[in-house]
Amino acid sequence: MRRMDNIARVISPRVNEEYQKVVHPSGLTILLYPMKDFVSAYAILATNYGSVDETFKTGADRDFVSVPAGIAHFLEHKLFENEEGDAFARYAATGASANAYTSFEKTAYLFSCTDNFAQSLDILLDFVTRPYFTPETVNKEQGIIGQEIKMYQDNPDWRVYFNLLESLYHNNPVRLDIAGTVESIAQIDADLLYRCYSTFYNLGNMTLAVAGNFDPAVVLAAADKHLKPAADPVEITRDTPDEPWEVREPLVVQNLPVAQPLFNLGFKGVAGGDERANLWGKIADEILLDVIAGESSPLYRKLFDDGLINQSFEGEAMASRDYSLVFFGGESRDPEKVRDAILAEVARLEAEGIPPETFDRVKKATYGRYIGMYGRPDALGGLLVTAHFADCDAYQPLEMLAALTLDQLTVRLPLSFDPKRCALSIVKSNGQ
Amino acid sequence: MSQNFTRTPVGAGVYFSAIVGPKFKHNRLTVNFILPLDKATASDNAVVPHILRMGCKSLPDFTSLNARLDELYGASLEAGVSKFGGYQVMEVSIRFLDGRFALDNENLTEAAAVLLAGIALEPKLAQDGLFTEKDVDLQRQYIQDTIEAEINDKRSYAIQQCAAFMCEGEPVAVKTFGYPETAAAITRQSAMAAYRNMLKTAPVEIVFTGSGDAEVAKKIFAAAFSALKDRQPVGYPLIKLRPVAESVREKTETMDLNQSKLVMGMRCGELNTPAELTAARLFSNLYGGTPFSKLFANVRERLSLCYYCASRFDLTTRLLMVDSGVEAKNKDLAQSEILAQLKAVADGDFTDEELANTKLLMTNSILSTTDSTVSLEGWYMAQILRGQSMSPTQDIENLQKVTREEVIAAAKKITLDTAYFLKGEDETNG
Repeated sequence: MRRMDNIARVISPRVNEEYQKVVHPSGLTILLYPMKDFVSAYAILATNYGSVDETFKTGADRDFVSVPAGIAHFLEHKLFENEEGDAFARYAATGASANAYTSFEKTAYLFSCTDNFAQSLDILLDFVTRPYFTPETVNKEQGIIGQEIKMYQDNPDWRVYFNLLESLYHNNPVRLDIAGTVESIAQIDADLLYRCYSTFYNLGNMTLAVAGNFDPAVVLAAADKHLKPAADPVEITRDTPDEPWEVREPLVVQNLPVAQPLFNLGFKGVAGGDERANLWGKIADEILLDVIAGESSPLYRKLFDDGLINQSFEGEAMASRDYSLVFFGGESRDPEKVRDAILAEVARLEAEGIPPETFDRVKKATYGRYIGMYGRPDALGGLLVTAHFADCDAYQPLEMLAALTLDQLTVRLPLSFDPKRCALSIVKSNGQ
Repeated sequence: MSQNFTRTPVGAGVYFSAIVGPKFKHNRLTVNFILPLDKATASDNAVVPHILRMGCKSLPDFTSLNARLDELYGASLEAGVSKFGGYQVMEVSIRFLDGRFALDNENLTEAAAVLLAGIALEPKLAQDGLFTEKDVDLQRQYIQDTIEAEINDKRSYAIQQCAAFMCEGEPVAVKTFGYPETAAAITRQSAMAAYRNMLKTAPVEIVFTGSGDAEVAKKIFAAAFSALKDRQPVGYPLIKLRPVAESVREKTETMDLNQSKLVMGMRCGELNTPAELTAARLFSNLYGGTPFSKLFANVRERLSLCYYCASRFDLTTRLLMVDSGVEAKNKDLAQSEILAQLKAVADGDFTDEELANTKLLMTNSILSTTDSTVSLEGWYMAQILRGQSMSPTQDIENLQKVTREEVIAAAKKITLDTAYFLKGEDETNG
């Protein structure tokens, strides 16, 4: 009989919905969000482990180990394969649309389906918990991922973004391509993969979120079937290299065939150690990006009228365990002019203050957009996982936004948009 | 499924469609203008929705318009142009929060519909009755930039180039945004002429998806379009392309690339019945549309000849495009293996299980469209443009009926027309 004390209801009067949070005896946190009237279900099994986790140890290890760049992504590819073949081939018999991705701080395996949910969930829980690596399969994957890396080297949007991260950070691994390099992945072997797996794929470090059309009892039964009760919890210590205060390079330019120069203008921010605080900071930064240069801002208008930006212009905030940054990106004939105009606008807002009516308007717009995250099974599945790894529930981003004040934003502005900590990355054609 | 599709006339050649279900938290409203693709008018037509997005009579100032969208809980107002066979579809759309999540009691559906109708039909004009010089200058530049930026995404660029070579001289080959010279030639006069022509001759399809009150929006658009006199909408009959390739043509272009792209454009033979069309779709997915397809399993996984290799069948043009990312030295090997896999399907070298699994994955993907307003809108717009009104459920029923023999018959009719190679000039082994 299942113990009921490990099931909690998470309720939002604001969205008028609720979901269940279950801590399974295996240590896995399971988040169950049925959505009325939807025909598809979205399941995502994620580990709190991404490309930035390069140096770490467990309670059982004496020393830290440093692993080659790109190994989390490599592991993601390799888990799809075991003695019986490829997990995609198994999903073929259920009709589910399956995928996986690796980001800076998490690795996720997911599927979406309208039928045969239980069978697809069986496959997901089975292949992610049964690693199988041999020298031959590792070797073959090195070729496939090498091609993937090459493909991204031709992608100007990807290049302008990683050139920015490389110019902002000296040592933080967020500066490195998630897939690594052809050279770094050549150092990966089966032993290293097993070491990363046993550290980060213990169920206490993972979560399963399901949203949409499904029966929660089916999920719990599948967890009971596939997941053994936890042995001792694995304690993970991550080592982050010291990161200097200043940026590494204020300007970096790469030549690639593009029509218009592309740019990313980034600001290195201040990250606390607390992931929840960093999530709050990211929400505040999203509002600030809109206040400074959102479509209804005076600056956007000026840049647009002067032909310095076009519809592709947008801002983005990022934050995780030990970094926090904001950037603007788009196409421009003169990215340095755009940078100068943004810096001048930040200085003006600091001197004159953010107008209260601007704050209210941008906050209202952000609120409407955030509601959208609760509107689709895939968006909601991703949100459940992200919020859980930030140590909060899926409604808290909305509550944090609702509680945000102008005073808090005013304090945040100079910390997140420090002109002395900004870098500009440009990709343009030869001769542009 | 809880959505029903309804389509009713609200003016001369103006239809209002609604697909409504209570589960959605946002609504979408889109106004589509449909015109024949023509090299002479493509750029002028394409610039129009982007100029309209800059403001309307009631909110002529771009910044005030965007502030109004913020007030509507971050509504997003978008202009877009797409290509559907030999036709060009110009659209303006608004996505907005459903009123039940609003903090005040404003009727968001009404507000959004009024705003979008104003954007589509009551543009901001200069004193001489033309679009303003500034808006035309900015948006001409945007269209020019968009055309130039086609080379940024190498994969879609290569597919587009291959299709253009295959269909040279036909409307289908005309590019969505036109060409550098037609974009450069956009003037205040030519853009206004394109807009007036659109209002007079383009069939208009307005589509509402979401959980809000579609009737409110319908009344607003019926009233707005009733002000347009003298409409003479033209139709959009299906344009048939040559069904069989005459000979295989090879075309190579070079670019500074790490990974070359091979695109093989094929013709699918005479497809006269709905059953034949469904069989062709199923064939394409079995051949190269899934992670367990013939192309993926063989060209990528077994032979490691490329990072991706996929086929896509366009139900409107009835062309099949196989595209792959390869190293230049593997191009010939990849090309012959892609053809070998086509022959394998035509020879019946696939299992009943592969066929059943392909149907399952397609069923999943077709049914899932009903969970998102964007996909529902896309589904029904495609139906409308093909003169149909099939629901996803009906489509699945038809798919289930397709037999193994029909898939083999579809494969046998396919002929290679053009092998297009975008070659990385930096590659040493090319």
